[in-house]
Amino acid sequence: MSRWKNRIAMPSLPRLAAMLGLCAGLGLAAAPGAGAAGGRLYPSGPPHGVAYLRFANLTMHQAKVASAAAELTLPTDDPHRAGQYDPVTPGSELAGSVVLDGKSKPIDLKLTPNEFMTIVITAGTDGGPAITPLHETPTDFNAQKSSIVLYNLDQGCKAAKLVAGPQNVAVISGVAPDALGRRLVNPVNVSLAVACGDAAPAVPVKLGQMAAGERYSVFLFNRSGAGRQALAVRDEMAPFRP
Amino acid sequence: MSALLAGLMILMIGDSHMVSSGYLITTLHNDLTEEGATVDTYGMCGANAGDWVYKTTVSCGEAERHGKKPPVINRQPRAIGWTFDSLVAANHPNLVVVEMGDTMAGYGQHDFPRAWIYEQVRTLTQRIQAHHLQCVWVGPPWGSEGSSYHKTFARVREMSDFLAKSVSPCLFIDSTQFSSPGAWPTIDGQHLTASGYRMWGKDIADAIDRLASQGAIKK
Repeated sequence: MSRWKNRIAMPSLPRLAAMLGLCAGLGLAAAPGAGAAGGRLYPSGPPHGVAYLRFANLTMHQAKVASAAAELTLPTDDPHRAGQYDPVTPGSELAGSVVLDGKSKPIDLKLTPNEFMTIVITAGTDGGPAITPLHETPTDFNAQKSSIVLYNLDQGCKAAKLVAGPQNVAVISGVAPDALGRRLVNPVNVSLAVACGDAAPAVPVKLGQMAAGERYSVFLFNRSGAGRQALAVRDEMAPFRP
Repeated sequence: MSALLAGLMILMIGDSHMVSSGYLITTLHNDLTEEGATVDTYGMCGANAGDWVYKTTVSCGEAERHGKKPPVINRQPRAIGWTFDSLVAANHPNLVVVEMGDTMAGYGQHDFPRAWIYEQVRTLTQRIQAHHLQCVWVGPPWGSEGSSYHKTFARVREMSDFLAKSVSPCLFIDSTQFSSPGAWPTIDGQHLTASGYRMWGKDIADAIDRLASQGAIKK
C-alpha cells in the first residue's frame, strides 16, 4: 500500500498521472461484452503501454510534489524516502512542481514505454530542491534472482561501487555521478557497502535477506554537514489494471 | 486410464481458454481427472494474472467446473470475479495450475509490456506462495497470425520466454513446444479449434504427468 494512497483521494491506478495533470489519453480500455461478434473480446495488455515513475527525497526536510490537481508529501524517514513506482501512460506530458523549504522547481516529464524514472530530490545550493531524473528501461526481470541498482547522487564520487562481503567484492562498479548501474544477483543475505575509490571509508547499506524476484535500490548521496550517505530500499510497483 | 495424479487436488485457473465448453475446461480438466486428480477449474475471460488477486470485473464471461460435473458457463458480465484466496479456501488444493499469457502479451503493441507483465505475474505467484502451494504455469499456444487479436508468432515466443523467467516458484510449461507455429488451427487467431484444444489439453496433462513422475510435483 502506498503511503500516498491515503493522502490523495483518487484511485491508485493513475493517481500519480492524474496528480501531475494528466487527464487525457489514459485510454483505459473497457472490454466489450462477449457478444461483440467479429471483434476482440478484450485487450491484450495495457492498450497504451505502461511506464513507471517514483520520487525519492534525500533531503533533511519534507518535500512536496504538487500539481493543479493534488499534492504529495515526501517524508524524510528512511523507509519512506523513496516512494513506490506508480504507473503512468507513456508519451503523456506530466507537469508539476517540487517544493522544498518554500522554494519550487518545475517538473515536466514524458516517459517512454517500459521506462522506469526515479526523480531524486536533493537540497540545491539556493536552499530549494535540486531535481535529478534517473531513468532506465530494465530488461532483467527474473523471478529467481534479485536485481540491485546503484544510483550515484554524490557529485564528489566519480566512480561509485557497490561492494559485498568482507572481501569487498565488486557487485556494481564505475557508476558516474547522476548515473546508475544495475545487476542481477543471487538472493542472499550479505553485507553491502558503497565505495568511491577515494580515501573515505565505504558506506554500509542494509538490505538484509534479499528475496528472489525482488528489486532493490541503493542511493549514494552527500548531504551538506552529514557527509556521504547511502540509502537502500526494496522497490515497490503499484498495480496497474488496464 | 492411469492413476499417475491420484492424490492431487488441483485448482486450475485461466483466461478465455477455460471459458467455453470444448476448451481446456473440458479437455485438460478431463485428462487430469482421468489421471486420478480431483480437479476444480475456474476461467475468467479476459483476466490478467493480477485480476485473480484484486477483485475485478469479469467483462466477457466466466466458467467453473468441479470434478466430473459438466462446466457451468456464465456469459454475463459480473461486477466482481473470483479471487485466488477465496478459491483456495473453497477447494483446498495441493497443486495450482495457471493457464495465462494471451491476455497480457500486448498483441498489436509495438513495445512488449514486460514490466507490467512481471508485476501481474508476481502479484499472483506471491499469493500462491503465501498459501505454500506448488504450482504450474502454462504459457500460451502459437495461435495464428493475421487476426483481430494481432497475435504474432514472434510475440508468442517473446511472451513464453519471458514467462519462463518470471513465474518461479511455479514450474513453467511452454506450450509452444507442443507444436510448430500455426500447426494448430484457430477459430479467431487466438482460440483453437476443438481438435486443437484436445491436443493442447493432452500435451499439458502429459507434461504434468512427467513433472509428477520426476518428483517435481509432490502429492
